[in-house]
Amino acid sequence: MAAVLVSKAIGENLLSIYVDTGLMRKGEGDQISKILDKLNVNYEVVDARDEFFSSLKGVVDPEEKRMIIGAKFIEIFERKAKEMGAEYLVQGTIAPDWIESGGDLRDTIKSHHNVGGLPEQMELALVEPLRDLYKDEVRNVARELGIEVSERQPFPGPAMAIRILGEVTPESAELAREACAIVEEEIERAAEEGRMELPWQYFASVLQVKSVGVRGDIRAYGYTVVIRAVQSIDGMTASYSKIPHDVLDKISIRVTNELNQINRVVYDITNKPPATIEWE
Amino acid sequence: MVFNLPTVRIFVVDNGGQWTHREWRVLKYLGMETEIIPNSSPYEDLDVDGLVLSGGAPRVGLDTEKMGRNGEYLEKAVFPILGICAGHQFMAIYFGGKAEPAGIPEFGKTQVVVDEEDELFVDLPVSFQAWLSHNDEVSELPQDFISLAHSNNCKHQAMKHTKRPLYGVQFHPEVEHTEHGYEIFKNFLKVCEEMR
Repeated sequence: MAAVLVSKAIGENLLSIYVDTGLMRKGEGDQISKILDKLNVNYEVVDARDEFFSSLKGVVDPEEKRMIIGAKFIEIFERKAKEMGAEYLVQGTIAPDWIESGGDLRDTIKSHHNVGGLPEQMELALVEPLRDLYKDEVRNVARELGIEVSERQPFPGPAMAIRILGEVTPESAELAREACAIVEEEIERAAEEGRMELPWQYFASVLQVKSVGVRGDIRAYGYTVVIRAVQSIDGMTASYSKIPHDVLDKISIRVTNELNQINRVVYDITNKPPATIEWE
Repeated sequence: MVFNLPTVRIFVVDNGGQWTHREWRVLKYLGMETEIIPNSSPYEDLDVDGLVLSGGAPRVGLDTEKMGRNGEYLEKAVFPILGICAGHQFMAIYFGGKAEPAGIPEFGKTQVVVDEEDELFVDLPVSFQAWLSHNDEVSELPQDFISLAHSNNCKHQAMKHTKRPLYGVQFHPEVEHTEHGYEIFKNFLKVCEEMR
């Protein structure tokens, strides 16, 4: 959205960069070029998967993850900026990003990578045209401009890194990605068939809680997947979505059958506040 | 057609709340001229028809200094003031009441029951769903204040001064999940307009 607005203003002088962090959703890498082609903006894809995984090695604290990811994005943008002589960095920062990142009187709820996760010293000056808007307002502007991509569900910048409650590795990212894909598919199907309202945001997170199971007459000791879906307008308050039991059942069966490290699935029934939408 | 009616100016005093910017958004959507101002802004610089004192991270009983010049606004204001959450608690303390850690703090969904018919709750049902997020609460009303609403776990969900246009609410009318939030703001704006 910010890319389209700025592209309209300065055309070819804008280079949009899609950073492949290795933490994106299933199939996202393939979709992204199509989306960017359709948006008619000048873009480049940077493969930074190895860089992200190596900088996140051994890190389990959610705030530390967010700081590392924020700094890594800037490092990549500054590298590109040097190549092309760019002075400004356009970010799609929206109101909840800076509100929840805190500062001065405001408490830090979580450091959004594009605000609280920025390094102290930056060479690029920031341009953030959406700073005072919430998601619903961004979508209103996007509809005016005919940008379909804004209808996609919200997705956090740190991506799967904060849906893995523990260390981020290529393997744990893959697990979270697959679990998210199953939740998305089943909920989208149920919504299409009119069995439930499509939630505002819906995904899975992988918990490090291990529990005992039995698989094929053999003891299992595996991880837990949590199903999270919420209704919201602006992301500042949210109520958990009431997912029909047959949909939960289908998700549970698929997750435990298709992902052999998972032998338990739970359903998050917490509102925001006191929870936040994502687990980290 | 009349174009020259001056817009009503209602500013939001930022006490560091998660929903301060939501208050600004609601006022903006209701057609007000509005700005978010730091709570260190001198009273003399305020050219407004009303003020909203936002909620915030400060525990008002413990961090009084973090509430900046809220006291000065409450002392000198000739216009209406609506205190929300920490703003409401600070108002109670400032006028001699008490705000203390809540026996059972409320986070998220709560049912608020209106006890007193009042300009703030005009045309509202007696009971509605509101969203909250507070650790402290008003435990004792100051002199000249009356309680307007309660919830199961909080006696003073709303209060008002009996002689001046000062109002406080513990719940958050500015968030989307609170029912009738816009109406409560509209009712407050009506008071501001009438007093201009």
